Amino acid sequence: MLGFIAFFAASVFMVLIVSSIPTALLPSGFKILLLIIAFFIDAVAISTRFYSYLITPLIKQRKRHIVLSNEDAYWLSVSGDAILHREGEQYVATVYIKIPIYVSATEMTPEEKLEFTSQMAKLLSVGDTPTRYTTQIHIMNKDSYIDTLRNMMNSSENEEAKMMSSNASQKDLERVKGKVSMWHHIMDNASSTLSLEQVTYAAISSIGSKEFEAVSGVQQKAREAMSGISAVLGVTPSVMTGESILRFVEPEYLIPYSTVSEQISKSMREEVL
Amino acid sequence: MDEEAIMYLAMCGVAPLIAIAQLGQFGSGIYTYIIILLVGLLIGFLLIMTFADYVVFPLITGMLDITFQPYKNYKITRSQDAVVKNVNGLYYATGFVTANLFSYVFKAEKLEEDTELKRIEAPESWEKVIMSIPFSFKYHVLSVGLSVQTVRDELEGKRGYQEYQMSRALQSAKANDMVIADIQRKLNVIQARIDSIGKGEKPIASLMYIETTAVGVSEKQALDQLSAQVKQLQISMSAMDVQLLRVVGRELYTLFKFGFGLPTTYAQVATNFGVEK
Repeated sequence: MLGFIAFFAASVFMVLIVSSIPTALLPSGFKILLLIIAFFIDAVAISTRFYSYLITPLIKQRKRHIVLSNEDAYWLSVSGDAILHREGEQYVATVYIKIPIYVSATEMTPEEKLEFTSQMAKLLSVGDTPTRYTTQIHIMNKDSYIDTLRNMMNSSENEEAKMMSSNASQKDLERVKGKVSMWHHIMDNASSTLSLEQVTYAAISSIGSKEFEAVSGVQQKAREAMSGISAVLGVTPSVMTGESILRFVEPEYLIPYSTVSEQISKSMREEVL
Repeated sequence: MDEEAIMYLAMCGVAPLIAIAQLGQFGSGIYTYIIILLVGLLIGFLLIMTFADYVVFPLITGMLDITFQPYKNYKITRSQDAVVKNVNGLYYATGFVTANLFSYVFKAEKLEEDTELKRIEAPESWEKVIMSIPFSFKYHVLSVGLSVQTVRDELEGKRGYQEYQMSRALQSAKANDMVIADIQRKLNVIQARIDSIGKGEKPIASLMYIETTAVGVSEKQALDQLSAQVKQLQISMSAMDVQLLRVVGRELYTLFKFGFGLPTTYAQVATNFGVEK
């Protein structure tokens, strides 16, 4: 708001000054130039309503890549059940509550479907605090499985190379070749299709001037939300802790690295071929 | 248009109004036309910034090739429609789409008849949509419980205004059937909402949006993939009678920040977005 007032006052002041100076002292061309500047400042003033977060760094840094913040977006709380984010002088703590829903519409009667939709509508009105309910579809993490397959494939290939150099019998060689081919086949299958996983969760935040204040506030809110969710849906929600929170926050956890890189390299191989 | 927007527009309109009032002080002839043109351009800009600010800023940053780093390792693209993160040489582009499920909650005229069938169909439609989307996405509903009495008072005020409009329309010599039907429809919607509150349903304000992430070996590949995913979402979700618009500009920045910390009051949500009540 202060930025807006400053820009607004500057533009009005400039227009008043320019219009009050006689043309004999300031030629019309200069007046128009100054008026353009005053109008530009006026345009900046209205832009600060929503874009002050961009305009101030843009004016200060005067670069094509504007750095709004060089800090990490969040960090994990000491208790491990919330992430913390700094917003000006305040700390915002956020808790993620997993809601285990394992029902399918295909198994429901029309009455059950209506009941389920009503439950969902009631869920949204649990509590007065802003709560975000999310259904997330993410790619199942097959990283460790793919790593295991890679290791098996490599050891089979080593075995094959050793046998070929040690003049092993044709029967043993065929067996190892079959093993290598099998691992390649399993690897191709595992990486050719993406397995998707659905998870439903709620997120709730609380602010505080100290980290512990924000965290204890959000823990209290989470307990209230969990009892509400439990009463409406009849399930046992749980607060996510540690690394499991990252699944809901970081994009690379939505699309796991090895799972995807294997698929990208496979599609690239296919494109080249 | 809310009061805050009117205040900003009125205050920023002072400078061009002074210029018009003092037109003779800037010179005569061609200078007068230049001033009128400049005032016209400024007023046009002020109106666009008030009603469609999301058009202007992405256009400016796009033309000047300006990108932003909201936090370490993240980048908002110059078109301000995606946030990109580089992890181990892979680029993860995240975009947002509005997804207000109007027909299920907000716009029913006769609560029982209009919504029951849709409510029965909703779980199955949702499962079909989910199964038809072969990539990762998140469907978010940010909801805030509102005070029953405040909302009821607000709705009764609105009903009173619509009833006044109706009586004026009926008394008018040029009574238009279309206008009367429209006012009647609005009255029905308000009445249905008052009835639902009367039955014990708690009023909420909500904001619904979809977040989707695409991956690529280059930033361009990730962004192209993201655009394809957004289009696919728009096609798949259309079966749910959802209004789907890609989020750009300040709203993208705000929704991105919601990933790390949510607003804690209704006022904070309403400041940045038009929420449905």
